[in-house]
Amino acid sequence: MLCRMNMRRQLRRTLRTSCLIALGVLLSLSINVLVGAPSIAQNAIIPNDASIQYDSPEGGVDGEPPERINQLSNSVIYRFQPDATAGENNQGLGIVKSANKSAAEPGDVVIYTLLISTSGADAPTLQVVDTLPVGVEYVPDSAVASIGENDLTSFTVSATNRVVTFNAFVPSLLQGQQLIIRYATTVSPDGVRGDGINTAVASDIEAGLGSVSDTFRLTIRPGILSDCGTILGRVFSDTNFDGHQQPGEPGIPNAVIFMDSGNRIITDPDGLFSMANVIAGNRVGALDISSLNGYTLAPNLFRVEDNSQSRLVHLEAGGLARMNFAVTPTFGEGE
Amino acid sequence: MNRQAIDTSKLLGRLVWQNVRQRSRKSVRSLARAWSLSACLLAGMVSFPAIAQETVQDTAQDAPPEGISIPVPDSAVEGAAPIVSVTVNSSLDGIMPDQALTLREAIAITNGTLPLSALSPAESALVTPAASPAIGFSLTQSTDIELTEVLPPIMATGLTIDGTTQSGYGTLSSDAPAAVPVPVPAVALSPATEAEVFRGLTIAASDVTVRGLSIHGFSSVHRRTASTPPADIFITHVAPPQGNDEVHSGPDSPSARTLRLTSSEEDQAPNGVVIEDNWLGVPPTGIIPEPNEMSAFGVSVFNGTDVVVQRNRIGFHESSGIITGNLAKGLVVTENTLIGNGLAGLPPAIYMSGNIDGSEIFGNLMCANDGSGVAMFKPEGSARIFSNDIRFNGRRFRSAGISLMGSGHEVSDNYVAFQPGPGVGVVAYPKSQQNTVRGNFFRRLDGLSVDLNYNHNTRVSDYQFFDGPNPPRNSNQRRRDSANAAINAPEFDEYAFPVEGNTVTLTGRADPGSEVDIYSVSSKPNRHYGDLGSLLTTVSVSEDGAFSATVDASEVLPEAEARSLDSGIDSGNSALTKQTVVMGSEVAAIATDARYGTSEPSPTAAIGEEPDYTGTPDPYSPVCQDPPILVEPEEVVILPPDEPISLTIPRNIHFALDRSFISEESANIMDQIAAAMLDYPSLTVELQGHTDPRASDAYNAALGERRALAARDYLLQKGIAPERMRIRSFGETQLISTEPDIVDYARDRRVEFIFSDSRGLDIVFERQETDLQIE
Repeated sequence: MLCRMNMRRQLRRTLRTSCLIALGVLLSLSINVLVGAPSIAQNAIIPNDASIQYDSPEGGVDGEPPERINQLSNSVIYRFQPDATAGENNQGLGIVKSANKSAAEPGDVVIYTLLISTSGADAPTLQVVDTLPVGVEYVPDSAVASIGENDLTSFTVSATNRVVTFNAFVPSLLQGQQLIIRYATTVSPDGVRGDGINTAVASDIEAGLGSVSDTFRLTIRPGILSDCGTILGRVFSDTNFDGHQQPGEPGIPNAVIFMDSGNRIITDPDGLFSMANVIAGNRVGALDISSLNGYTLAPNLFRVEDNSQSRLVHLEAGGLARMNFAVTPTFGEGE
Repeated sequence: MNRQAIDTSKLLGRLVWQNVRQRSRKSVRSLARAWSLSACLLAGMVSFPAIAQETVQDTAQDAPPEGISIPVPDSAVEGAAPIVSVTVNSSLDGIMPDQALTLREAIAITNGTLPLSALSPAESALVTPAASPAIGFSLTQSTDIELTEVLPPIMATGLTIDGTTQSGYGTLSSDAPAAVPVPVPAVALSPATEAEVFRGLTIAASDVTVRGLSIHGFSSVHRRTASTPPADIFITHVAPPQGNDEVHSGPDSPSARTLRLTSSEEDQAPNGVVIEDNWLGVPPTGIIPEPNEMSAFGVSVFNGTDVVVQRNRIGFHESSGIITGNLAKGLVVTENTLIGNGLAGLPPAIYMSGNIDGSEIFGNLMCANDGSGVAMFKPEGSARIFSNDIRFNGRRFRSAGISLMGSGHEVSDNYVAFQPGPGVGVVAYPKSQQNTVRGNFFRRLDGLSVDLNYNHNTRVSDYQFFDGPNPPRNSNQRRRDSANAAINAPEFDEYAFPVEGNTVTLTGRADPGSEVDIYSVSSKPNRHYGDLGSLLTTVSVSEDGAFSATVDASEVLPEAEARSLDSGIDSGNSALTKQTVVMGSEVAAIATDARYGTSEPSPTAAIGEEPDYTGTPDPYSPVCQDPPILVEPEEVVILPPDEPISLTIPRNIHFALDRSFISEESANIMDQIAAAMLDYPSLTVELQGHTDPRASDAYNAALGERRALAARDYLLQKGIAPERMRIRSFGETQLISTEPDIVDYARDRRVEFIFSDSRGLDIVFERQETDLQIE
């Protein structure tokens, strides 16, 4: 896609780089791409070459500047297809990915469709690799494939982690035909943590068809039970003022922590607390010092950030964040 | 060997030992080893100075960095810590070669950070070689040493700082109540005016003795957080820096690893420190300091083993008088007088957390502290608390006289009285078992004599004033989730036992395998339960769970008993092993099983006939210590009811919106109250803080407490003893207004004074509005 846009702009781009090589000579490199869009006919051929310039290492004769040498590279030919559709490469292999819905929630089933076409050559060893977004899982044995109206006799599917690979299509895809692969996925609660974008790549290296890809973005909405994380922490008596609870630093029971949402949490007899289903994002918890019977905030000699009554954490959906509060016996209240 | 030689060799041995293990822990074994080493040294080695030099260098390199840097010459680190006796003759603060030695210079000299060569000739004359390091005082002009910054930690093993060497030491102040009278110190240590000095003496060496000083006023200002613990005397191996400033750590600051002593590093903690005959938190004048000039904590045993705190007068601290931090194994607290501590912080007189194994608290007087007499918080190990006089505590927090957590504690022979909570409380969690409570005399409690928390009761109130009488064990799970393994309280078979001849036989049921102690009831705050008084007898429970005890009964009260009831002197340790009960009095039983601990007390049973329950309290004097026995008994007779003294006292003062300071008009009213309380020493008062209905409940509860505290502070400054005042906050729960207008709101913002008098004074409370402050 990027490539095509650049070409349409009738790009002439010269990149010059100068550096000193080991010989101690000045070297410059230029890459030239010349595209004349109006003049490009179908299946136009775009030459692409590069050149380097450098000063002769022998140096000049009699005070003359050294001879500058301009060396051309070989020429690379790029076949340009102005009518290529979305996701079609210059060898005629094309892929289009779509789904039966553009937005999904955790728990939903999403059916993806892959449309693979080849206009350049037959693709007997076609391989399609689809990388699913975070939290979208392939439903085993759900894939079906057809060419035209006829279902395929057989093909193999392997799904490891989030990568689904289709290959060994029988019968194989011939020039001018379209292969349609459909498969189902489910969205798990982790889906809200991903971006919903997945990319399918088709290629048939042995047949000389380079890879082609298409992406599809699925908007994943939080649904009713995701988008939440867990906050846990402890309130304890710190005796070395480092903000961490070590053996011999007992937890404070019945201490109160207020959340930015207004929730009030009370520590257990060991001084621990946890709160599930906290909405993800930046969350703030503050220790209610008046709930501590005879204790107050302890200084932290090593981390300035912890010298505060409140803790700011970034909570991922489905994630875990910690808020620890170190306290010490109080004195001089109300001064 | 003569005595001098023994001392020298002991000293030598200690030095060698220190070289071997850097910070010696004086135990019998180590001492023995040091002795043998020193003997070798004396016999075979002649290069002692070289070794001493090396020793000191080791110590210096290992020296913890000081919280406050003091200007010392660079060569100081390499100098040997001289074993000298230093006489302080300047009450100034600072290090400079002038005509006199300051305490800061004296500590630096004994630490070895101020070389003798840096002293002026006049100063050098005050330093003499000695068998063990010592700092004495010979102050001429002022005896008040005012510090401008924290003193360096005391690093000299065996140093004695002796305030009794100052001339003028030794006068006894007779009027102040005391477990053992402590002579008035001549030398006082306090922060300079306007200076924030958060610790008095910091002790980082073993066998240091601090004697005969008045140390007061050491606290710090709360900033974003509190500071690390302030104290009059702070005992630890490496003192943490103050810590609440913007700058937290420098290259010299100790690491978190250094600050924390694990159980295998206990030998690094100072051992055998003795704190004796000091006045902590109390200036030599004996008057209560202004609220902003109070010390935070008294003795803070942060990391120290076998520390002895004895014969100190510890009073008027913002927080606990004695507090343990991380390690306080073998702490001995005896014959101290702890009065009026916890006024604005951690409320108990003695607060124990960390490792307190083998600690003993005995023979102390704890009175008029804001929380418990002794409170524990999740300690490791067990302690013995015995023969203490604990009364009129819980002035600000309703709490138990002795609040126990953990297992294996022994509470015996204490006098616990006038406590707004149970006498001894044991929590359910952390698991607390095998705590025995025997032979104590309880009186006038607002709760059970022994209260065991039941079935994982861990609410705030359960930790503070416990959960009241437990039902009998209904499942074996109660063994696991209740204090003292849910040992059942005994039950008597009858409400009243008849007297046969001169004896009465009491029968009942209790857990098999336990021993039942029968006590006479000293006072009875409610219909069913009474406070355990004198121990009458102890019997075993048979295998089927029955017990039977026979006690002598008589018509009149034995004299010893009568006196103990009236004056509150503990009669539990008197020679009367088998006490006598009086007809018409009541008894209660309590069971103890060594496997589980002591139970809660049984409901009471009457001797002879069941008395009418009237609930009228017996008269008492609201004093920390009863007048000496030689006072004629006629002087404490109850005023006859037919001659009531009528007294008119204002009963409330008012405050400005969201404020808790005492206005001038209110101060005039409080002066009347103070005058009446000084005139009638039997008057006691409960100060109840109230607010108007605006703002949140929690905010108003705190505001109400600040108002009550302000009123109490005012009365304290007027000389009213802290044991006569209790404070409570009702927040906005008890409004007197009906209309939502600013005048009624002003009426709501008040402190009410609820007077009571055990002698039957007829008091007319006068509601007044002269000091109303309308917003």
